[in-house]
Amino acid sequence: MSLPARVVTLVVAFLAVVAGVLWVVFDIIGSQPQTENYTAYAKNGVVDVTMMTTPQTTISNRPDWVSYFIKNPSTGQFDHTTYFAVPANTTVNVTILGYDGCTPLRNPVWGKVSGVVNDTESLQIYNGKTMGAAQSVSTFDSWADCAVQHTFAIPSLGINVPVASPPTVDENNALCAVSPCVGTDPTSGGSPYTVVKFTFKTPSTPGAYHWQCFVPCGGGYVDGNGGPMATPGYMMGQMEVQS
Amino acid sequence: MAADASAASPAVAGKQSDARVLLILWIALSIVADLLVGLVLGPHLPPGRASDQAASQQTDFTVLALLATPVVVGVLLYFGWALTFWRKKPGDETDAMPLHGNLKVQATWIIGTAAIVLSLAVYGTVELIVPAGAGAGQGPQPIFKNGLPAAASLTSWTPNSGNILQVQVIGQQWAWTYRYPQFGGFETTQLVLPVGQAVQFNVTSLDVIHSFWAYTLGVKADANPGVNNVAYATPTDTGYFQVRCAELCGIWHGSMYDTGTVMTDANFLAWAQATKTKLAGLTKILPPYALTYDPTTIPAGKINEELGLTSAGGGFYNPADPEQP
Repeated sequence: MSLPARVVTLVVAFLAVVAGVLWVVFDIIGSQPQTENYTAYAKNGVVDVTMMTTPQTTISNRPDWVSYFIKNPSTGQFDHTTYFAVPANTTVNVTILGYDGCTPLRNPVWGKVSGVVNDTESLQIYNGKTMGAAQSVSTFDSWADCAVQHTFAIPSLGINVPVASPPTVDENNALCAVSPCVGTDPTSGGSPYTVVKFTFKTPSTPGAYHWQCFVPCGGGYVDGNGGPMATPGYMMGQMEVQS
Repeated sequence: MAADASAASPAVAGKQSDARVLLILWIALSIVADLLVGLVLGPHLPPGRASDQAASQQTDFTVLALLATPVVVGVLLYFGWALTFWRKKPGDETDAMPLHGNLKVQATWIIGTAAIVLSLAVYGTVELIVPAGAGAGQGPQPIFKNGLPAAASLTSWTPNSGNILQVQVIGQQWAWTYRYPQFGGFETTQLVLPVGQAVQFNVTSLDVIHSFWAYTLGVKADANPGVNNVAYATPTDTGYFQVRCAELCGIWHGSMYDTGTVMTDANFLAWAQATKTKLAGLTKILPPYALTYDPTTIPAGKINEELGLTSAGGGFYNPADPEQP
């Protein structure tokens, strides 16, 4: 092989390796779900954020994984993401529509509502026919009652909110079968779900805060903490606090 | 340096003169450097002196630095001297002076290094005994207690009572929680300790292997599922300290940190009683206090049983579970 040919071969091989590394870094490692930006929708220091849990993710290539969805504040549709942005020093009213069934917490300590206003959550249960009255709850016993499906927790801010699950066996056996679950029209006999509401205040300084679920809901994976529990966009995500 | 000194040529005489100068310089520079290390750098070496264990570790690092400094100074001095004065002169085509073995140098080197290593082994062993394991996790049956009392009571605790304070550290992906059995067994995400009181950390995990690293307290103990790992610390100052996980434990390992607080005895007792009262409802639903917990078998309630749920989300390294994605 001539010298120019060898040089060209070497350069091409080098560029191929560089391209491969860049592809791994940016397209695989660096990729993250889209961010639902609520900052522009805050009024008078208050912003409303709506999320949903589903027992499966039929719109993804992991249809058997449980997942969170977040409502797009612009379109009103639920997007498959767990990243959202809110302004600093702002009161955040969170509503979670919980469509999944119960799983016992590995540590019952996460059954306590903490880090939010009054350390309580407002809970309503739709049993497939009627919507129950709102009740204020501070602690769930997920072992005795199987009352929790997931949690929304930001450990670095001390926030932990159990997402209650439909409480009966029949309800747990009639869960939503598509995702996102909006569209099953619960008011006309859709799947059972819960409505969990709570309020917290964002820090005064900007930053990124990871949030996660403490229910080991990665069924079939090591310790129940693999799969969706360890993948951004499913049962863990990030809250970006913007200035 | 290992040249045969029997050949009393001018070159050899010059080397001997250099050796004397080097020795004097080495001693002088080593004294100065050790003074700087001991008096200036030593007090700032990690992990500080926020507990007896941390202070002991800082002393150990200072001792090691004092011993290593003359070695470093000697190597750098010899290196610099050789580069500066023993360079080949321009136009000098002669061979270098032949080198032969030197029994005195070899014996001095072997005896000196052996003495340093063996003395450090003895010193390190003594330092492991005092104070009480030097802050390291000692497993479920700790050997190095240094006179610390056992837990005379698991239902109550008062300062200076000869009843060591028990704090259980529970790791899970990806947060630490802390349980205080002598205050009703409440569990919280806050780690609060009394100043000047010996603490026994009982470290365990509910899922994978974590490592409880209270850095400035000088405490580091692996948190293994199904295992109790005991470490001791006696905080010496009020204030804050950082807790991190020191074992790669999953995607949010880097976020697994806390800020602990060391309070006066009175403030600690007030905090413990207030937290016990505040969390009374939660404590009722916690499993009874134990040194380890097995979440693969939970006391399933009626709904759990009807749904066929008997464990809290998978087992420890269940062979039926696939690998992590």
